[in-house]
Amino acid sequence: MRSKKLKVLWLTGIACNGNAHSFLNYPYLAQFMDRFEFLYHPIIESKYTLVDIINQDLECDILLIEGAISIEYKKDTTSIYDIIQKYSSKAQKIVTVGTCASFGGIFRDSGYLGASGLHFDRDIELDDFKNIKSKTISISGCPIHPEVLVNTLYSIREDIKIALDKFLRPKEFFAYTVHNGCTRNEYFEYKIDNHNFGEREGCMFYEHGCQAPYTHGSCNKILWNEVNSKTRVGLQCMGCSEPSFPKSNLFNTKKNMGIPEELPLGVGKRTYLTLAGITKAFNIKRLETRLFND
Amino acid sequence: MIKLIEKIEGEARLNYSFKDNLIDFVEIDFFTTRGIEKILENRAILDALVINPRVCGICGHAQLIATVKALEDCYDNIEISKKAEIVRELTLNFEIIQNHFKWFYLTIMPLMGYKDYLLKASFPSQLMSKAIASIAGQYPHTSYAIVGGIVCDIGMMELVKVESYIDETLKFFEENLVEADGEEFLECNNSNKLLSKDGDLPKVLNKIKNSNLIDFGKSYDRFIVFGKNSYFNSGKSNKTRLYKTIDIDRVEEFDNNKSFAKNVMYKDKYYEVGPLARAMINKTPLIKDAHRRYGDSIISRILARVCEILQLLNHSKKLLKEINLNELSYIKPKIDISQISSSGVGVVEASRGSLIHKVNIEKGLIKKYDIITPTQWNLANGTRDNLGVAQNAIIGLDSTELAEIVFKSFDVCSVCTTH
Repeated sequence: MRSKKLKVLWLTGIACNGNAHSFLNYPYLAQFMDRFEFLYHPIIESKYTLVDIINQDLECDILLIEGAISIEYKKDTTSIYDIIQKYSSKAQKIVTVGTCASFGGIFRDSGYLGASGLHFDRDIELDDFKNIKSKTISISGCPIHPEVLVNTLYSIREDIKIALDKFLRPKEFFAYTVHNGCTRNEYFEYKIDNHNFGEREGCMFYEHGCQAPYTHGSCNKILWNEVNSKTRVGLQCMGCSEPSFPKSNLFNTKKNMGIPEELPLGVGKRTYLTLAGITKAFNIKRLETRLFND
Repeated sequence: MIKLIEKIEGEARLNYSFKDNLIDFVEIDFFTTRGIEKILENRAILDALVINPRVCGICGHAQLIATVKALEDCYDNIEISKKAEIVRELTLNFEIIQNHFKWFYLTIMPLMGYKDYLLKASFPSQLMSKAIASIAGQYPHTSYAIVGGIVCDIGMMELVKVESYIDETLKFFEENLVEADGEEFLECNNSNKLLSKDGDLPKVLNKIKNSNLIDFGKSYDRFIVFGKNSYFNSGKSNKTRLYKTIDIDRVEEFDNNKSFAKNVMYKDKYYEVGPLARAMINKTPLIKDAHRRYGDSIISRILARVCEILQLLNHSKKLLKEINLNELSYIKPKIDISQISSSGVGVVEASRGSLIHKVNIEKGLIKKYDIITPTQWNLANGTRDNLGVAQNAIIGLDSTELAEIVFKSFDVCSVCTTH
């Protein structure tokens, strides 16, 4: 292991700081701080001020960008484009931290001219910053999962080659769907579609807009805050790690002739119908009744 | 002279004018905006529960609870179980607590010259995040509170688990912030007794006293609290006079020429919101004593914030005991929200003070959404004739360094303000 600390610049665009706070939930921050040094971070004490970052030309190993970007958006009096240009050329890697920085996310609609992610406007690839694309990794999610970000940074430090999907997301975390590992899976498998909020039982895919079966992410594989996930408690996945986030009407499953408009990744309509017919036939009492609140 | 204030969940520019070596006027400029209210317009109503937590990474949970309250207020009649109400209050308490730890260790300690307290900030705030996640799935950015209650069922095991996180956080408080028994600390009505204790809080308070900062930070000594719940009372105070009746319709928000952030007043006056305001309205003995000695200064603000950690941890333990597990977590509203055209207001106490959401809904869509955040109260950019609370506290100081300390004593949130 290299003993030198890598210099990291955390640059915030049009953002809510949710990723910076989610990062603070990484359980082993002492270890992280032994390996990395923040030139600037929006919350944690850092070696330089933002004004230093803007006015000086500092050595930087990894550039982290949080939030959507726009040529109009300024840090103090300098366009964030200029700051990204300056530091991305010298950084060995650039990481877009969160869905806004990766695809535009919620703040794509913030009103700033052409607000988008660094390389993507939703799923459309952009021409700006194409020259640095080979150095970029996208960690999407609203917010990012701290372990996904930190372990990616550890891999960068160890010069480990990271396999990426077409949106530059590490496959190790984003080849899965959020559905993988959900504790409500049985209700999905056997198509128990009478989900009610406020209960431990039931699957939110059929009525309540759960996007987990077609959203890439590890939410149910690497739990949130080490303890839980949204779908486990009964809140549908909102698809927050995808370029399409946020879609509209997030609490309802859009259906055509009773069939969800979006099906689990790779599943065709006809097979879905066949399978649904079979699973319905199971009629499993255990899954039709409350687990233990009787 | 323009100075950029950094690490306030974003940035703000302070434009100082000096006269006879003293700050004669200061303009507070939040120079960005993210257009959340516009983003919400014409979206499906319940989408607000997903969009609004993204107003802010550190108090997004308060934004969620304010949203759900505003939406439920659109009904003439809606039934929410006591259980769901208590659980919502608990998770909001946990968010307030994590915020206060972060503010103390990442903002105040470094300002007082104490460095490298990241782990003391992250350890207890992670515990509180885990407590939220145990109930709400994750922190930050859950949408678990929905119109009619909460999405999750709460069982005995959740309560046991959450209580263990509270106890671990209490232990951290007693071993690090003030080395004293928590109960003893809360009952104490002599703030000077604290100074002789060990711990990071006395360390900071003594530093303030010894660096002659004790008189700084004073403003109008006028406080207001709107977000009444089982712990906080609503009301306003002027010096030590308390008025319990306040009318949310008298809150006025208006543009100012300089900054994207709108100013907020109550009956044409600026008020301070936040933990010190809550302690003044609640008449917390320790904070009343500090206020008697030090007024509405930096020291009272710090003490009120740290004291609130302990108050809310203890109160949360009591709330856990009040939950009736047999109640429903969610009661499906008799009329679907997409069927009503109405308006509603939701008010909660967020970490930094009163947070107000106002919504108009029509035919399943959000027609208008208005958010008034705590920092808009405290950091209003007023005129020379009518100064905002922080402006008033800064004018008369002799350096921009001192002004920054005073400014940050309000626990400023730039992202909230620039929603």
